[in-house]
Amino acid sequence: MRIDVVMPQLGESVVEGVVAKWLVKAGDAVAKDQSLVEISTDKVDAEIPSPAAGVVVEILAKEGETVPIHAVIARIETEKEAAIPAEAPPLKAPWDEETEGFPGAMARRTEPPLPSHPPVEPSKTPPKPPPAEGTRVRISPVVARMAAEHGLDLSGIPGTGIDGRVTKKDVEEYLARQAAAPPVEKAPPAATAARPAPSGLPEPEGDQVIPFTPIRKRIAEHMVMSKHTSAHVHTFAEVDMHRVAAYREAKKKEGVSLTYLPFVIWAAVRGLREFPVLNASVSGESTVIRKAIHMGIAVDTDRGLIVPVIRDADKKSLLELSRAVEDFAARAAAHKILPDELAGGTFTITNPGPKGNLFGTPIIHQPQVGILRLGQVVKRPVAVEVGGEEAIVIRPMMYLALAYDHRIIDGVAGNGFLFRVREILEAGDFPR
Amino acid sequence: MQVTYIQAINQAMHEEMARDGNVMLLGEDVGVLGGAFKATEGLLEKFGAERVVDTPIAESLIVGAGVGLAIQGMRPILEMQFIDFISCGFDQIVNMAATLRYRHGGQTACPIVVRGPCGAGVHGGLYHSQNPEAWFFHVPGLKVVAPATAYDAKGLLKSAIRDDDPVIYLEHKFLYRRIKEDLPDAEYLVPLGKAALRKEGRDLSVITYGSPVHAVMKAAKDMAGEIDIEVIDLRTLLPLDWATVRASVAKTGKALIVHEARRTGGIGGEIAARIAEELFESLDGPILRVASKDTHNAFAATLEDYILPNQEKITEAIRRLAAY
Repeated sequence: MRIDVVMPQLGESVVEGVVAKWLVKAGDAVAKDQSLVEISTDKVDAEIPSPAAGVVVEILAKEGETVPIHAVIARIETEKEAAIPAEAPPLKAPWDEETEGFPGAMARRTEPPLPSHPPVEPSKTPPKPPPAEGTRVRISPVVARMAAEHGLDLSGIPGTGIDGRVTKKDVEEYLARQAAAPPVEKAPPAATAARPAPSGLPEPEGDQVIPFTPIRKRIAEHMVMSKHTSAHVHTFAEVDMHRVAAYREAKKKEGVSLTYLPFVIWAAVRGLREFPVLNASVSGESTVIRKAIHMGIAVDTDRGLIVPVIRDADKKSLLELSRAVEDFAARAAAHKILPDELAGGTFTITNPGPKGNLFGTPIIHQPQVGILRLGQVVKRPVAVEVGGEEAIVIRPMMYLALAYDHRIIDGVAGNGFLFRVREILEAGDFPR
Repeated sequence: MQVTYIQAINQAMHEEMARDGNVMLLGEDVGVLGGAFKATEGLLEKFGAERVVDTPIAESLIVGAGVGLAIQGMRPILEMQFIDFISCGFDQIVNMAATLRYRHGGQTACPIVVRGPCGAGVHGGLYHSQNPEAWFFHVPGLKVVAPATAYDAKGLLKSAIRDDDPVIYLEHKFLYRRIKEDLPDAEYLVPLGKAALRKEGRDLSVITYGSPVHAVMKAAKDMAGEIDIEVIDLRTLLPLDWATVRASVAKTGKALIVHEARRTGGIGGEIAARIAEELFESLDGPILRVASKDTHNAFAATLEDYILPNQEKITEAIRRLAAY
């Protein structure tokens, strides 16, 4: 007996449907309820199940054809013993108008062709050709994000959602399994390896892309933030270091080796006591004058610059400052500086060392308002007055550069502070 | 003692009228009869005809008089015998009460509460089944409250009476005598603008309020072994407690919104839009709604079942969303 397959009414107000795709062809044997055809209406998309077991003998509607409801679109010859329904049951819509666009339809891997082609204004650029059939996988926004974050290839993750969609749970379970797997398997994280060149441009041959380490990322953010935050002004002093040099020599004979840095710290601390507005921070629309002087010292490491802090630097002797600097340098090289030691600075001194060049213009370490930079100490002929006579002598000279935040520090205080530091260093009145 | 939802509402008014001599009540049959549903029982006897006023059948008068009284320093509770007829007082609420503070540069408040029985499920037909929250949800200056439990009904009504802005207080008549619970002896308030997390879950978030809270909770319980559902009872619709909704959907990645009011133009649409706007990258499925069909409610019980959301429809939506 031949049974008609008709276009069902999918929704109360629907009067026609489009044959999107035939899943069988004439001559195919089909089981009862086997999907015969995908149809598409302006309400829902659905697959029509076979009303009976048998053989498809006729297909009466072409793909893309619009057919009124209840029209016959195919015929099936039933097997002899097959139970035959008195009438092909009208297909129940999988979901009514309340839930049109429901998950089943949304999770389909392939889209049926559009029912009609309404005239539309073409966009400026032609649309991209659709990706090849069968390779499209529908994923939700959260799964897309997680895949990007963890550098996952979703095709390798079994999906348990509708139509095999990879769900958030599937990704979570996959990540948990990965984490539990032996270390060999988790090898270099794909996310890092697959990260594109920063510019988004194709990577030229031979260029090396080094993703930011966390410390580099923090430095980068902090530097830009500081430039955006403070009104940087720079001022420079040329310091005659011959008394400092003489003191160092004297100490060396006693077996104590001192660098220039502790002297500058010692002088700066005294300068800050006289110009407290430089030992301050900005909080909202207030200036906070800090009582304690906690001196940050910029130290280079193979992972980037860090700034450990000498607490209460004003209460420390020259020798103690020297020891603190040496201790920081040693521990920074071994990556043994504790996080607490990096916090709470009120002013910063940066010393690029013997190769520090003439001078530089440092960036303020937020939320502080000043930073002092040592230049290279070089011997230079300078004009001096000796016993009422002018003379040219050779002296170890150093440029000190001060960056200060012009929001709260005016030139008088900024210049005054640096001038005072110079005076202290040149006076050489260090404790014996 | 077990207190029903309607008794909780009655208690709230008794307590607030005793506490504050400026609190008064206006409405149709609220005095001698004690209210069509007996929500205002005992108030006339206790507080007298000056503070408990039987009005003509004219909602615009009730709200209009209430606005005037509020300007003069009173805190009127205005009962709509059925909330369906709040539309007769619509102009007074939307154009007068809601704008008063704005028109006077913040110098005048309008502390009125417009309360009345909303909702369907009791075969009330077209004029005794409505859920009008969406009309007021669109209006700045108003607050809209829809309690689902006796505890909240009392605590929210007391807060609404004490609030300086006009509050639309929607009490669901289906819940009036169907739910009861022990209430604290001590006085308490439930803050406006704060949702309640009724159940924690990991798989999906159901955001609901009013009568459907109970159907959702039952569905969540019945499916406990199968799907782990988080349930948010909004309690206050305006201002919406977005922080609670956001935290939940960000966690589960799936959201179903259930309300008894009609689907099109309902509050669920706004919540869904906001989720899509702010939580797009957290979503692991489509945002779904279960709501009344877009028609007027029917008398016939079978048709009413067809139109309204119920546990079966909610369960089906939850299953589909969980499987997505």
